Amino acid sequence: MAKKITIDPVTRIEGHLKIEVEIEGGKVKNAWSSGTMARGFEALLVDKDPRDAPYVTSRFCGVCYSVHQIASARALDAAFGAKVPWGGTLLRNLVMGAQYIYDHPLHFYQLSALDYIDIMAVANYKGKDKDLLAIKDKIVHLVKSKDTYPLTPRYKPDQFSVKDPDIVITAVKHYIDAMKMHALARNMGAIWGGRTPHYQNIVVGGVTSYPDINQVARFRTMLDEQAKFINEVYIPDVLTFGTGPLWELAKMGLGGGHYNYLSYGAFEKDPEGKSFVFPAGVIMGLNPANIKVDPFDHKKITESVKYAWYKENQPVHPYRGEQVFDLNKKEAYSFVKAPRYDGKPMEVGPLARMLVAKNPSILGLVAKGAKPGAVARHAARAIETKLVVDACYQWCDQLLTEMTKPGFKIHDTAHWEPPTEGMGAGFYDAPRGALGHWIEIKDKKIKNYQAVVPSTWNASPRDDKGVRGQYEESLNGVPVPDPENPINVVRVIRSFDPCLACAIHLIDPKTNKIRKFLME
Amino acid sequence: MKKPLELIESHGVSRRDFLKYSAVMAALFGISEFEFTTKIAQAMEKASQKPPVIWLEGQDCAGCTISFTQILNPPATTIILDKISLRYHETAMAAAGHLAEKAYHDTVKEGGYVLVVEGSIPSADDRFCMVGGRPFKAIVEEAAQKAGAIIAVGACATFGGIPAATPSKGIGLGKALPGKALINLPTCPVHPDHLAGTVLYFLTTGKVPPLDKIGRPLIYFSESIHDNCRRRAHFDANRFLEDWNDPNQREWCLAKKGCKGPLANSDCPIRRWNDGINFCIDCGAPCMGCSEPEFYLDMSPLYTAESEISKRIFAMKEAGLFNRENS
Repeated sequence: MAKKITIDPVTRIEGHLKIEVEIEGGKVKNAWSSGTMARGFEALLVDKDPRDAPYVTSRFCGVCYSVHQIASARALDAAFGAKVPWGGTLLRNLVMGAQYIYDHPLHFYQLSALDYIDIMAVANYKGKDKDLLAIKDKIVHLVKSKDTYPLTPRYKPDQFSVKDPDIVITAVKHYIDAMKMHALARNMGAIWGGRTPHYQNIVVGGVTSYPDINQVARFRTMLDEQAKFINEVYIPDVLTFGTGPLWELAKMGLGGGHYNYLSYGAFEKDPEGKSFVFPAGVIMGLNPANIKVDPFDHKKITESVKYAWYKENQPVHPYRGEQVFDLNKKEAYSFVKAPRYDGKPMEVGPLARMLVAKNPSILGLVAKGAKPGAVARHAARAIETKLVVDACYQWCDQLLTEMTKPGFKIHDTAHWEPPTEGMGAGFYDAPRGALGHWIEIKDKKIKNYQAVVPSTWNASPRDDKGVRGQYEESLNGVPVPDPENPINVVRVIRSFDPCLACAIHLIDPKTNKIRKFLME
Repeated sequence: MKKPLELIESHGVSRRDFLKYSAVMAALFGISEFEFTTKIAQAMEKASQKPPVIWLEGQDCAGCTISFTQILNPPATTIILDKISLRYHETAMAAAGHLAEKAYHDTVKEGGYVLVVEGSIPSADDRFCMVGGRPFKAIVEEAAQKAGAIIAVGACATFGGIPAATPSKGIGLGKALPGKALINLPTCPVHPDHLAGTVLYFLTTGKVPPLDKIGRPLIYFSESIHDNCRRRAHFDANRFLEDWNDPNQREWCLAKKGCKGPLANSDCPIRRWNDGINFCIDCGAPCMGCSEPEFYLDMSPLYTAESEISKRIFAMKEAGLFNRENS
């Protein structure tokens, strides 16, 4: 007899998520992923000045802040006919690079690590390292004073939890160090972004922050410190865990899912945007021995609402459909829609990007026997963080060269005023994956606005054919020997770095207004 | 019972250092040194019982949480592990599901905790925000009953912010908990210093800091952005930035790009953000007035001088109300 358990709320994620799983014979037999919060930002944007959109949509999420700002600005760039000067693109790349550099280590240490270590093993540390002993004292003191919040309560450590006191205490030290490092990384972005979370400088046509040479020097110096942490702490930690204590989980491919991957690409390498640090592409049914990457075509995107709280509709391109909110729909269980590419559920995010890029480091791990899944996602995240750090150095150099040229520009001022009519799509691969914004402008105001965000892809419910979303599929077969302690379930879900606040769409439920949106 | 200073020494703090510290702090809080010392000693007596904190997230983006972790001195990890007992925080806690719910219920039963709320509460329909199978609204009402202090952080939890303009009709705590005493720390996101300082004030004095009439601590929100803006001379001289590419205009006033600084109160230009590295206006972006109840709807359109707020600003300028002798 299958036993159904519910994890609500799933914590250490952004937003509100409920996961239900059915367990039979110690394994997950079936799973349901539900987004349980909605705000309705797209509906609020209707009739607003289009230039508000990047500022407002940034507030979709304060963890992966400003990814929506840039996707939105890119949609506006297209709709306004604006051409961002190379200086503006470089400054956008630099602040978004700083965002990646903060976001990925935050996910590993603050949002995930507690699932993989038995933190109480710290008490058994026998070494003499002064810094580590201070950590031991801190934790032991918490235990003695009978107040170990927020480290407990927790799911019980299992056979995969790391219990070696030396590894655990080092990880806890790095958890604390990482907290400081990502605050510093955010400061780096604020040099041009104004402040964090939510940068202020990204607008249609470019950026508002005219740079000076001292700022570039400051950014570089702060980047040196981040590079050191990423190369000497973050990447070694991920490798130590992934190829050591977690190798069993890596080999079994815990949390694999559908093995379909999608990347929109990110970070222009040239003024024309011909090539990207992270290339765009699609992989259907991964064959690790022979990876076939197809070009991305946004016309192949459809969204199904069969199991979401929206009025029933056939799956259509998200911008061609009629969508009405329906809170009382019987079979629905999520605010998240079910986007599909060529009819198939896709995984988006670091693993998708690194596979689409055929990154040698991730392919090396796969060749050694790691199956794409939860552990590989952590590895892909670490690998691409280093790629971003390296790119940031290049962008600093390129910006310095650009700044000294006569007529240096950061903004397309000629296209600042909204067009009477226009349409535009903005694609950007955010830390959590493929992100698309679409805008339609009429009478200089927003007529319609849509976003299909990374967690909509990953956290989607079943589609019209009953095919599970990527979270749901990746939970299939996950071992849960003790239904009271579903630690593997949260390991898999958190490996995607869920960001639910932005995954929720809705159309005005008060007026029940039907909106049409056409996209060529 | 030990005398206050002995008790403090027994915690490893030197008498001399402590007296120096308390003179400054007592002056800051406007109480006598004796009163301050006694309070600290009382607080230390309860030593191992760190003040319990429940941090609820409703219709939020977790940006205020991320902003809070921006504090470097003392580091956020020190605050979380050593200074407070963070019983419930969806984005930070180890527990999930029923374990997380249990930590919450145990603390609510105890009472006397500091309640921090991030994100708005949907007023159009409770089902727009459900946590642990319950409406977020019910959770906030329940947690507020036995809280020792309630702090609303960020634009959404204070006055509704951006969600107020959505179909879910997000509202702030003031509307959701009518009649309840609360501290409002707006701005989008909350400034980490505003939050740390307010919590410290409450823990040290047991009192709520002096507030303005919409619940914001006067120490942070009594002056307008404009009064402390270093671009103000350009405003007075009618030098308004038109082109972000022109290095000569780099420091000019942003009022024509929609800056709401003249009608927004916050110490942003002095305190700045991210360890003093920058703030909105210094990266060439207009102030959007996120410290005010009118944010977001009445501040829109954000990037022109055509919003109601911007029109009012220019009318006031015309009337000479911003002349230094009048302001």
